[in-house]
Amino acid sequence: MSKFTSELVDDLAAKLLIGLSPEENQMVLDEFAIIDENLSKVDSFQNIKTIEPMTHCLDDFTFTLREDEAEPSIPIEDALRNCDKTEGREVEVPKVVGGEN
Amino acid sequence: MDKTIEELHNLLKSGEVTSRELIEESLKKSHEIQEKYNAFVTILDDAKETNVTDHFLSGIPFGIKDNYSTKDILSTGSSNTLKDYVPFFTATAVQKLLDVGAVPVNKTVLDEFGMGGTGTTGHTGIVKNPWDTTRMTAGSSAGSACAVASGVYPYALGSDTGDSIRKPAAYCGIVGYKPTYGMISRYGLFAFASSLDHCGVLTRSVADAAIVTDTTKGIDEHDMTSWDSSDIHLYDSLNGDVKDKKLCYIKELCDIEVYENPTEELKKHLENFMNSLEVCKSLGMNVEEVSVDKQLLDALPSVYVAISCAEATSNMSNLTGIIFGPRGEGKNVTEMMMDHRTKGFSPLIKRRFIIGSYILQKENQERYFKNAQRVRRMLVDTWKNLFKSYDAVILPVGSGPAKHLDESKDILTKDTAALEEHLQVGNFGGFPSITIPNGFINDLPVALNITGNCYDDENVLNIAYAIESKMNYKNQIAKEVHHEQI
Repeated sequence: MSKFTSELVDDLAAKLLIGLSPEENQMVLDEFAIIDENLSKVDSFQNIKTIEPMTHCLDDFTFTLREDEAEPSIPIEDALRNCDKTEGREVEVPKVVGGEN
Repeated sequence: MDKTIEELHNLLKSGEVTSRELIEESLKKSHEIQEKYNAFVTILDDAKETNVTDHFLSGIPFGIKDNYSTKDILSTGSSNTLKDYVPFFTATAVQKLLDVGAVPVNKTVLDEFGMGGTGTTGHTGIVKNPWDTTRMTAGSSAGSACAVASGVYPYALGSDTGDSIRKPAAYCGIVGYKPTYGMISRYGLFAFASSLDHCGVLTRSVADAAIVTDTTKGIDEHDMTSWDSSDIHLYDSLNGDVKDKKLCYIKELCDIEVYENPTEELKKHLENFMNSLEVCKSLGMNVEEVSVDKQLLDALPSVYVAISCAEATSNMSNLTGIIFGPRGEGKNVTEMMMDHRTKGFSPLIKRRFIIGSYILQKENQERYFKNAQRVRRMLVDTWKNLFKSYDAVILPVGSGPAKHLDESKDILTKDTAALEEHLQVGNFGGFPSITIPNGFINDLPVALNITGNCYDDENVLNIAYAIESKMNYKNQIAKEVHHEQI
């Protein structure tokens, strides 16, 4: 397990595409230290490893899948209306292939 | 607008007031409240009256938390990353209200994407408590709580991932109800932590909460976690007959002796809660003290942060500013996204994303994420065991009245008490849970909470309804008792 250090915080932030100030970095470390301490105690709970992790509120839930039928999709204009830069029916971005990166 | 839904409906039906007049009053009040407390992202000044029908909600104004998608109306999630986002569809819960002729008049401020509990992290600024502007409303449904408490309208939609309806309701002296998980469709609600997110409502009476939820609930093909609740009739089930119902409260949360240095507010709060238990007994209910493993309760806040951060990190990875949201600057797509996310997210959100990301790394999952999910099950099983013997768990909300704005609740500190966070169990288990006001400390409202087993919403609301009827806090409007020095 990698240690939760200032460098790791910056690395995770970079992967999440988030820039952090030094103060924000320290706040992450401070908050995580408490979570780490509390969840460390959990490891000592009796039979903790035998318990099935709970991923959903309702254990009795049954999924009902819809029929696999094609439905009309949204108009392109609606899909693009919140996009700042478009060209015709497409989202405009800087060149990705063969660009600077 | 200071009346209950039933009263307003009767006035509309008798012709003593029109939908137009109610809307005008609500809009006028919205502007006043915005000036004083900053409760809204958007005020819909062009709101149109609707026909008054036999439906309780027809013609009556209401508010919508700004993390519900509303077609052609700005929906920001109180985040700079969506400050100009206008959806092309409407959330199911909102649509169901529109379908019966309810009239939205504003979109309310929340903690950014619902990921806070203070009402201070929305991109349009702090929401102030209408009882005392030096105190927080709590959150994340801050603007909805503030507006309902101020008498802008009788109800507003909220959402609740940890206690985001029930805590602000407590701090603002009103009713906050989140039904069983999936009873109201989440389609169109901005996802925060999908396994914990609930839609719900803030009102000034239990009956109003029942009326609104009867309307918004129902199975929805757009939300595979919604379920058929057509045999549940919340309003019709309110009869106040709670004789021989059994309630329990938890010693490790309610006994003043368990706190090393209790504040005066905490002492009064717990004393007031014990007085409310006497009210329950006077209604014919049996109330018993139970014990829950303190170690388990102490793990609760970190378990919540671990699970919610992990789910949020995943849910919000689509916020790039490329397809929607303001474009960031940069010479390539990665730089543009980095700029958008760095400038757009508040420090709280950034912090939680990083913790969530770390927890989800394969090498850390077992120790943090899976263990948190295991404790989630232990807590839920503990509550479910209580529900085998009791109709509901009754507990005080928080450690007293609204906290001062200079106390940051969102930084998880070592002394974070389980008392502050226990409502999160309601989200872990999807339990129906309602907060109602139960008194005042230093002229500020405090509250109690009733939580029951999944699908037992009728019982939970009826218990709350009976208790409410024995106290004097139904349909109360905030009276500003303190305000900041200018």
